[in-house]
Amino acid sequence: MKADGTIEARQLYKSYGSHEVLRGIDLSVKAGEISCIIGPSGSGKSTLLRCVNGLETIDRGVLRVNGEDFGYVEKDNAYHAVSPQRLAEQRSHIGMVFQQFNLFPNMTAEDNVMSGPVLVKKTDRKTAREQAQKLLAQVGLAGCGHKYPAQLSGGQQQRVAIARALAMQPSIMLFDEPTSALDPELVGEVLAVMRDLAHHGMTMLVVTHEMGFARDVADEVLFMDDGIAVERGDAREVLANPREKRTQEFLERVL
Amino acid sequence: MMSTATTGSKTGTQPLPDLLPENKKRITPKRPRDYLCWAVAIAIVGGLVTTTVTNENYQWPVVFSYFTTEAILDGLVLTLVLTVASMVLGTLLGLLLAVMRMSHQAPISGLARLYITFFRGTPVLVQLIFWFNIAALYPNITIGIPFTDISTPVDMNALMTPLTAAIVGLTLNQAAYMAEIIRGGFASVNRGQYEAADSLGMSGFTRLRHVIIPQTMPAIIPATGNQVIGMLKETSLVSVLGVAELLNSAQSIYARTYQTIPLLIVASLWYLIMTMALSVPQSMIERRFSRSTRRPAPVAVATKESLL
Repeated sequence: MKADGTIEARQLYKSYGSHEVLRGIDLSVKAGEISCIIGPSGSGKSTLLRCVNGLETIDRGVLRVNGEDFGYVEKDNAYHAVSPQRLAEQRSHIGMVFQQFNLFPNMTAEDNVMSGPVLVKKTDRKTAREQAQKLLAQVGLAGCGHKYPAQLSGGQQQRVAIARALAMQPSIMLFDEPTSALDPELVGEVLAVMRDLAHHGMTMLVVTHEMGFARDVADEVLFMDDGIAVERGDAREVLANPREKRTQEFLERVL
Repeated sequence: MMSTATTGSKTGTQPLPDLLPENKKRITPKRPRDYLCWAVAIAIVGGLVTTTVTNENYQWPVVFSYFTTEAILDGLVLTLVLTVASMVLGTLLGLLLAVMRMSHQAPISGLARLYITFFRGTPVLVQLIFWFNIAALYPNITIGIPFTDISTPVDMNALMTPLTAAIVGLTLNQAAYMAEIIRGGFASVNRGQYEAADSLGMSGFTRLRHVIIPQTMPAIIPATGNQVIGMLKETSLVSVLGVAELLNSAQSIYARTYQTIPLLIVASLWYLIMTMALSVPQSMIERRFSRSTRRPAPVAVATKESLL
């Protein structure tokens, strides 16, 4: 298992019934690169992100994550779905952070962070606990390990969720609108953790409405609309001087 | 002016200190309807108490003399046995049905749905009589292991005693209700919890055991407690099959002595005592779990080590 931290997608197609969500998307994220996906709601950006760790399946196209076909193996001119065990193994190298945090409410913050290592990697509890405490400190929540998600603010919950994803030592981190469900004054603390992560060379694919974050942190920005990649390129370049009319209109509305 | 007048009438000689307006108590005066409600309630309860005490037909001495007779206590034990047996078996079968009902395989979930529709859609009393008379449909059945010679014929009339019919009937009926309760528990868990577990690479079993099932319990356990209380009373229906549970034991006595009312009171009092005894742990469970949905700390602390 190389887990080289790359994402390579060519001509991804996905429909729900007759509604086409992804219509031939290309995506390329190199190891250590930060890529932001922006666009109006319903443009398919979350779907694209969720395809990358198999929460959604694609109908057609090539999807290679960590240097290998994701969720399927190519054989006899077709892609065959891998076993659930193999899919879980591939997923364990990809961290995911959700808009609604999705912490396990029945576990403390520390148990949440330990859940991946203990339940999936079978790490012994002592090692996992030490690692969890280190990670909680890294996201600025040292000493909050004994608290339950319901006792934490949204920003704190999201930082625990990031620590939980990091505990699996993933080669790629996916963020699905990580600050959209937060009160405005709590957005900053989550973005700060993400910036820190970016500086440490993590490959990150981020669906976001935070244009400031995209401009400051991202290497590349992909603007999606109606299931199509309308514009992609250097983050500062696209945000400052968009070439496409639709990108211009969108940025005018959100900035 | 107002304050002096009140002070004088309330305390007579000693004047109250003049309070600042922001420190004065706010008083809602009692209205006539508040007194009226009490009067009506007291009149109703008083009337009931008077008639139960003065009306000789209640035959309270008879009630007390039969309250702890052997036949009644035996019936009481059988009622409890029936309740426990049909709840345990019904919950196990209900779990199986709930799993089938949630299956993505349409024929499997269809079967479960059919079962639930049938058993919830017909009266349990009819079901009980039906199972008791099942021999009319299938006089002889053969129980065996498929594809082997091991099999044994069974005479349905001998197998389906009143007690068997009672347990079968109550269990099959209860399973349909438990299936819906368990399914409701699973439906109460957010889809995001499944996705979060998946994104960590958990297997289906690990996800179920450590993430999903613990979160279904706040919905399932209080509802199951209600079912236990309901089942305790429902067992009285099997008296029609001649199973000597509490009600049937009372009936057997008054069939002989014609003291119908006192013996029905004996049975009712025992049902009341048992349901009240059960409602204590039930309300404790409900409090515990309703608190946990707002603030999970108290419950989860107790089971912390078992979660991972």
